[in-house]
Amino acid sequence: MTLAELAVTIAVLGVLGLAVRGLGLSAIPAYLAAGILLGPNEPREIVLISPSEVTEFVAELGIVFLLFFLGLEFSLSRLRSAGRHAGLGGVVDLAANFSLGLVVGIAAFGVSFAAVILAGCVYVSSSAVAAKGLTDFRRLGDDETDLVLAILVFEDLVVAFLLGFAAAGGGEPSDTLVLVAKALGFITVGLAASRWLARPLDRALDRLPLEFFLLAVFGFLVGSAAVADELGLSEAIGALMAGIVLSETSVREQIEERFFSFRDIFAALFFFVFGLSIDLTAIRDVGWIVALAVALTLTGKLGGGWIAGRVAGFTSRQSLNAGVALVAHAEFTIILAQLASGNASIDPGQREDLLAFAGLYVLATATIGIILMKESKRLGRVLFPSPRPRLQEP
Amino acid sequence: MPVDLRESRLPGVGVKYTFRTANGGRLSVILHIDGQREIYYYRRADDDEPTAVIELHDDEARQLGAIIGGAYERPKIVEELEMALGELHIEWIPVPDTSPAIGLSLADARLRARTGVTVIAILREPEPVSGAQPEDVVQSGDTLVGVGKAGQFAAFRRLLAEGPFGGEP
Repeated sequence: MTLAELAVTIAVLGVLGLAVRGLGLSAIPAYLAAGILLGPNEPREIVLISPSEVTEFVAELGIVFLLFFLGLEFSLSRLRSAGRHAGLGGVVDLAANFSLGLVVGIAAFGVSFAAVILAGCVYVSSSAVAAKGLTDFRRLGDDETDLVLAILVFEDLVVAFLLGFAAAGGGEPSDTLVLVAKALGFITVGLAASRWLARPLDRALDRLPLEFFLLAVFGFLVGSAAVADELGLSEAIGALMAGIVLSETSVREQIEERFFSFRDIFAALFFFVFGLSIDLTAIRDVGWIVALAVALTLTGKLGGGWIAGRVAGFTSRQSLNAGVALVAHAEFTIILAQLASGNASIDPGQREDLLAFAGLYVLATATIGIILMKESKRLGRVLFPSPRPRLQEP
Repeated sequence: MPVDLRESRLPGVGVKYTFRTANGGRLSVILHIDGQREIYYYRRADDDEPTAVIELHDDEARQLGAIIGGAYERPKIVEELEMALGELHIEWIPVPDTSPAIGLSLADARLRARTGVTVIAILREPEPVSGAQPEDVVQSGDTLVGVGKAGQFAAFRRLLAEGPFGGEP
């Protein structure tokens, strides 16, 4: 990738991002689609960028920043404040959708580690798309929005754990267990550090001049990712932990403010680079998996969300809105597939299928999800006719 | 009349405050992490769609807050409330992190005896103390709610920040 190619790429992403924003859609599927179009695989009408070490590195930074920001939002106190909704709703959502994902995974890959990764991909909804939709469609004032966001926090927690061994698990059972233990240990250390190190870190970072502040934080982030990589855990979990450690410090907001733009640029490039690797002819192989997964996702997310909503005391319509907001899948589905694609203990054919599946599945669900969100209230009025007129009689 | 204000956290978005208005509507105020505020108004509390949504930047929101709070023009009812208190004032005094009073009970600190200001409540996380008792201990991060005459608060603040405590005044 040369500078000129990078410039063209960024320009394309910028224009596309603006265009889909105008249509009220999420930018993530648009970045993916741009990657598919401009990449070396089918369709081959325009081949502008080929995957290289540079694109890989840029994509890696994208993952690091995405996970870093997730970590920053992740503090113990915030988890607690997500409150009662997170527990019950999160468990209903997990039970319904991870098991349906496993059904798809086993149908596609047999009983294998790839099936578990696919289940994870189907389970985890997109916080980014949901939050954007809820804001754009004026749903933040609705009561059920609290439930949706709490469930998303729960999902992020589960996925953080999955990320721990997506890149290297699935070999010998004992190896995988060691890896799981390492991932748990790593996250626990991170949470403990965020509690006990917050003050000293604060004092140290607060005194640094801006230039060195940025360098110190960036160095800590990359260093933590590198350490996790060396431990065989994947850079993602390292970046997540770096975020968690800094989440309780008073400079958190400053960090978010300063690194916001880095995250957005590198995340956009990450989705684009991921799109480069997708071959549309793969639809022939994975098309049925995607179709099955989308059908079961609609069942699981709408059903699971509806049950979670009803259990939490919401009306049928509100519960429908909650389920609908969970249909879109994006960033973590892609990240999981990307990490698993470097996992030597997964069969190479399955890895390729996983990548293609994740790309197409995200394109489908992110689009369907946003449209459903937009129409969910109308849908609710049709599905659950209002008893209100009778109640209003004097 | 106390307003039943409900606070809920919207992970990744911000904080939401919701209450029902006396005329049957519902009002939600969302404070976004980036400082943006949104006000959602539902004419009937169980309406599907908001009747109106107002988006405000940080500075606009502060301005609006000041106007509604009566900083510009005091509603008659607020003036009457101040009359009821007469010469007495209620002030909120944050306890400085370095305050020598931290760790002392209100009785031991003898704040009232030495300044004339009575501590009636303590605001602290997670649970505020309403109706502070002499044996309640001042903690780091507290905000004391005191009642006293206008001139007494300066001494109160100074004592709280610098002491000394323990000896006779």
